[in-house]
Amino acid sequence: MPSKFSYQPCREFNVVVLGAGGVGKSCLTAQFVHNEWIESYDPTIEDSYRTQRAVDGRQVMLEILDTAGTEQFGGCHSAFKFPFASLTPSKVAMRDLYMKTGQGFLLVFSIASRTSFEELETLRDDIIRIKDDEDIPIVIVGNKADLEDQRAVDRAKAFSLSQRWSAPYYEASARTRTNVDEAFIDLCRQMLRRDDNPDDMRDDPYPLRADDPAAKRRRRKRRKEKCAIL
Amino acid sequence: MLNNQGARTSLQVAPLTIQKTRGGPNGGSSDVVDSTNGCLDSQMTPPATPNSLQENCNEPVSSPVFHNFLRAFYPFHPDYVTSDSTVTLPLSEGDVVLVHSIHTNGWADGTLLANGARGWLPTNYCESYDPEEMRSLLKALLNFWDLMRSTLVNDSEMFGNQEYMKGIIAGVRYLLEQTQCLTRECALVQRHEGLRRSRKSLLSELSSLVKTARRLQDAQRMIGTEDINDVVDEMILKAFRIITKGVRFLDILDDDRRSRIPSVTVMTTLQEEVLIPLTPPADPASLSATQNYTTAAETRTSDCGEYSGPASSTGDAAQERVSCGSRLSSGHLQQSTNARRASQNSLLQTNRLSSTISHRVSLAGPSPCSQPQNLVSERLETCHDAFLSHLGSFIGRLQLQSQSRPSLAIAIKQSATSGGELLLVVDVVCAHTSVSVDALEQARTAMYNRIQDLVHTARDILSNSEPEMEEDVIVPHDNVRLLGAATGCVKATGECVAKTRWVIERIGDFEFEFDNGTLGIDFGLSDLASISEEQFQHSQPSGAESPSVAESIVSETATVSSRANSVTSATPAHARSFSIDKPLPEVPRVASPVSEEPMSHPSLLAVPQPQSFLFDGSNSSVVSSVTSLRPDLPPLPRISTTSLPTESYSPTEPSAIQEAEFHAFRSESMTATSSGSGSTYLSRDSESIIISQTSTRATTPDITQAPKTQPSLSNLSVSESLAPTDDDEAESRLLEKTYAHELIFNKEGQVTGGSLPALVERLTTHESTPDALFVSTFYLTFRLFCTPVALTEALIERFDYVGEAPHIAAPVRLRTYNVFKGWLESQWREETDREALVLIKEFAEHRLTAVLPSAGKRLFDLAEKVSVIDGALVPRLVSSMSKTSSSLAQLVPADTPLPATVISRSQMNALANWKIGGTSPSILDFDPLEVARQLTMKQMSLFCSIMPEELLGSRWTKFGGVDAPNVKGMSVFTTGLTNLVVDTILHFEEAKKRAMVIKQWIKISNHCSLLHNYDALMAITCGLTDTSIKRLKMTWDAVPTKRKDMLKGLLTTVDFNQNFKVLRARLHDQVPPCLPFLGMFLTDLTFVDVGNPATKTSDTGLTVINFDKHTRSAKSIGELQRFQIPYRLAELPDLQQWLATEVERVREKEKAGANAQATHYRKSLLLEPREAQQLRTPIDGPSVPIASSMFSWMRGNAGPSQA
Repeated sequence: MPSKFSYQPCREFNVVVLGAGGVGKSCLTAQFVHNEWIESYDPTIEDSYRTQRAVDGRQVMLEILDTAGTEQFGGCHSAFKFPFASLTPSKVAMRDLYMKTGQGFLLVFSIASRTSFEELETLRDDIIRIKDDEDIPIVIVGNKADLEDQRAVDRAKAFSLSQRWSAPYYEASARTRTNVDEAFIDLCRQMLRRDDNPDDMRDDPYPLRADDPAAKRRRRKRRKEKCAIL
Repeated sequence: MLNNQGARTSLQVAPLTIQKTRGGPNGGSSDVVDSTNGCLDSQMTPPATPNSLQENCNEPVSSPVFHNFLRAFYPFHPDYVTSDSTVTLPLSEGDVVLVHSIHTNGWADGTLLANGARGWLPTNYCESYDPEEMRSLLKALLNFWDLMRSTLVNDSEMFGNQEYMKGIIAGVRYLLEQTQCLTRECALVQRHEGLRRSRKSLLSELSSLVKTARRLQDAQRMIGTEDINDVVDEMILKAFRIITKGVRFLDILDDDRRSRIPSVTVMTTLQEEVLIPLTPPADPASLSATQNYTTAAETRTSDCGEYSGPASSTGDAAQERVSCGSRLSSGHLQQSTNARRASQNSLLQTNRLSSTISHRVSLAGPSPCSQPQNLVSERLETCHDAFLSHLGSFIGRLQLQSQSRPSLAIAIKQSATSGGELLLVVDVVCAHTSVSVDALEQARTAMYNRIQDLVHTARDILSNSEPEMEEDVIVPHDNVRLLGAATGCVKATGECVAKTRWVIERIGDFEFEFDNGTLGIDFGLSDLASISEEQFQHSQPSGAESPSVAESIVSETATVSSRANSVTSATPAHARSFSIDKPLPEVPRVASPVSEEPMSHPSLLAVPQPQSFLFDGSNSSVVSSVTSLRPDLPPLPRISTTSLPTESYSPTEPSAIQEAEFHAFRSESMTATSSGSGSTYLSRDSESIIISQTSTRATTPDITQAPKTQPSLSNLSVSESLAPTDDDEAESRLLEKTYAHELIFNKEGQVTGGSLPALVERLTTHESTPDALFVSTFYLTFRLFCTPVALTEALIERFDYVGEAPHIAAPVRLRTYNVFKGWLESQWREETDREALVLIKEFAEHRLTAVLPSAGKRLFDLAEKVSVIDGALVPRLVSSMSKTSSSLAQLVPADTPLPATVISRSQMNALANWKIGGTSPSILDFDPLEVARQLTMKQMSLFCSIMPEELLGSRWTKFGGVDAPNVKGMSVFTTGLTNLVVDTILHFEEAKKRAMVIKQWIKISNHCSLLHNYDALMAITCGLTDTSIKRLKMTWDAVPTKRKDMLKGLLTTVDFNQNFKVLRARLHDQVPPCLPFLGMFLTDLTFVDVGNPATKTSDTGLTVINFDKHTRSAKSIGELQRFQIPYRLAELPDLQQWLATEVERVREKEKAGANAQATHYRKSLLLEPREAQQLRTPIDGPSVPIASSMFSWMRGNAGPSQA
């Protein structure tokens, strides 16, 4: 763990939630941001998408960026497919802007939709291209885990993707509020770690140059261990 | 706040040490002192937030449980109650108290329901009162009270809307239903004489309230000349009495049931059913009330033990005490206490007389939430209220017998200014009527004269007062004159306002832009304004001895000053005679009457502390150390809200400086309360907010206002003698079926939840027109929470069951028909509503025709028509939701000439050439202004075609947007525009050319911004900041700095930070024509949809429709519709067509299968390759050759297309 542990000011991070339309990512966001004791949720006010959490004893202020409601027309839909729309995820104008400011990304698919899973690949490419950074903190979320009987994406497939990207994978359900906080908090940890170690080196047992392939491989290996299922 | 009530159970007491402490009358063996010291310490250090009070508690309750009602367990009649200055509330056993706040020291600020008196009471004498049967009624009273107290709602709104009356009726009905006593013929009622009487008395009280409410409505319509304020006060008192009687009724029932417990086994099963345990038992198996109470006490005590030391030691005592008699047994005990109360009442009565004038008058000052009011009637109300509050405050001061001159001058100035404002309104109304209204003119003149009179009087007094007089005190003799003048003003104003209202009603309300604050802008009133101004100049110099103080007072709002007036005057007296330190009294031994001995306490001799000490930790700890000898609780909180008699105070006038200090103190306490950091009070939140910001209404209703001055339980016989017709009417009202108790309201009185029948009832209410937002929300969204068939059935049921209540049947049935009619005429959606048609036809043909033949026929015809014609019969307005006359008024008049187009002949030719198959022109060929205009026209036509139903329930996100073709069309175009920007820039090989295109787009987006086309602005700036464009360093270097700065400015407009703060602010004040960024609305609607549950749970545990969610959607949609107004610009069809084709061209590229992003980025890399130091490749490290690394990010793309 980093040495500078105590009494740090509240960090602010932008988290971008991405995924095809209809995967319920906005539900995840709403679940995470929405305080349960607030009777009604008003998304039009300034801090509608801000939330402060304690992560490993440190206060983190998160701003969740979500283009919910605007990405459907190129997206894929588990129930109903358009002949061409599902194959070509069209870009939402806002998305690029969000990606640019994002420091962590939650890539969401629905375990009941294969196409939504496949779209993640493109999304990650866009992120890496826009951020010009391969190690950008990412968490993969298989949403709608409560719809086990409609599962269209095998766990194994998701795991293999998780390993390939060395990004943790969570199966979550916004409806039952399972693993929602966990996924976001995991992302926070990754962002905090990067923040503490700009070179991602400090906690490496074999300090090497950043672009050393061996170090990267090790780092990747380390991340691989983090996979969570329900 | 209301949601807290859900968590309340009968076993949970306020999270304070509400404990039945037993102590000796002398109250102080040493061990008790020790433990109390600990207790004191813990209480003197208030926790950071009220929540932390719960921290030690094992209960999983996330917020403190606050008890709205307490019931006195012991009589509480301290000696000092009878002293003039005290505000301690004497309690009799069984009194029920509405709690406003509870101080951490255990004293609660409450209103005694029996007589409406307000004051402090010791919570350890009380227990929470919330029996199942009463819950609905108690909740209704809370709503009632909150409404009365709310300054956000004006009177006419408040009582034009009779839902709150309904709530109380439904509450009584619920009580009787729960106790199986709904009808007179019930076995229980027949059997038990006392119960019968009690029930009857309850009902007559209810009918009395209903009558008063009707009188209020009449008063509002100016039929009577009665002062509305009096009626409101009376209503509150009556509502209180209903509760009191309800409690009494329940007690009798309880007694009866207890007395029958031994015989339960021999009872018939039928009777057994009747015997529902009245207090929800902690252990369902136990029927014994005594046991329940013991359990309650135990729980409570153990809870208390967590907070404070001494509680546990008294646990046994409490238990013992509790077990000897749970709920109060009526009878003689009450008799004696009543007698005592009667004498108190008369005392209070005399005390309160003087305070009546400023009672409610002070409430109507500007509230922070009040919006600019343009309706003349609203304006009239506001001005009238402001004027009255100024006068009221002034009169209140006069009561003090002494008046410092500066404050007099200021008070007069305030009064006259607000009076002038009021006259201004009256004049506007006068000018607005074509026929001159003599009566109004007369009244206006009378009022004018009165005000002038007042000002003259004040001027005389101010200029004539002897200079040698100390303190510039106005002599009592002058006071009488002032008082006469001021009362004259009040009277004249009342008449004038009444006449004005009458006129407004005749001519209809209208909007009028008043210039706030400046009296000089006149409508024939400048004379008065100048006169008053002049007079102030006369009076000011003499009164300006302490200008800074005067300044501070002027800046106070009317409300504050008037309240502060009564409160400050109360405080010093209170502090003197009563000591600041006020322990909770000790709980008496069993049934023995208490005699409190606080007067003998040493701390009483202490000098009164500075006023702020309650909120000052160090100060109060000093106090606590001083008082640590006592086994008692920390100081009695300063009374901040109780209105007190002013007459009885010592003549020493709190100087203006004191007052100013007090204001400071007030604001301090406000912060403390609202932030929770002070944690001095635990309040129902509405209460605390209202208390600290505005004055209170009828906090202590004047006893003389009530027709029956002895409202307590002893006058059962009096109510017995009421005419039987009252009773019958109450009966019939009760028996009238209603779902009113299934509605949930928010503080503003808007419906936030309800069952379908309840919502339908609200929709067809007979008392008033339901508010527009409710109706439009209902029509727009009902398909989301019920089927058309279910709605039809509910409406038909409403039509039927209202027949049981003949006096309201006719209007309700008409309204039901109107709902059907409105639905069929303008809201019908054939594809979904078809299935309900059969039912509607049947209903129209038979049931409706039987009652209202012509309506039945009309409805049947409509139903026939909708099935033939597709779509609405009556064309819907483009915006049917929120288009108000004001927004329409903003439209550019039709005869305004269109702005000339900016297009040259050659440009036209180029387009014509393109149309016949020639080469396509470039974006650079056109004038940016014209491109922006035509783009805006094109987008607006798409935007205007969006139907409200497309935006409901996240429809557009489902099934590829088939149900929302227009939303889809608009979004696709916008996305295409972004891609077009990128495409056109990357089109050129030379950096300079690319820079020109960038420049052109920046100009276009700037013009879009000037046209308020935020959708295009967003799309174009997104294109310009796209990764593929952003990285083109050479190109951007060639773009002039001026344009780059322009882009920066534009980007701040569409910045998404803080949830589009900038854009939202702009849209808020924007008048059409304007094209908002659609994506923001879509995101908002999505989150309203997914972030709010479909149902909510009411206090009574019923699951009802979350209407709040739908209201939010409807509001958002209404906001969008507000902008569905076309631009008035000249069309250039060719240019629009070219733009559309260009967008389509780019989109086609995408459709062809290539990832537009990827294509663009690749092209971008080809145009301006990465520089050497940037060669850190994303995936494979630097060892990989450049060529492959350049495209390595592409690898992933193969995945999805193959899969």
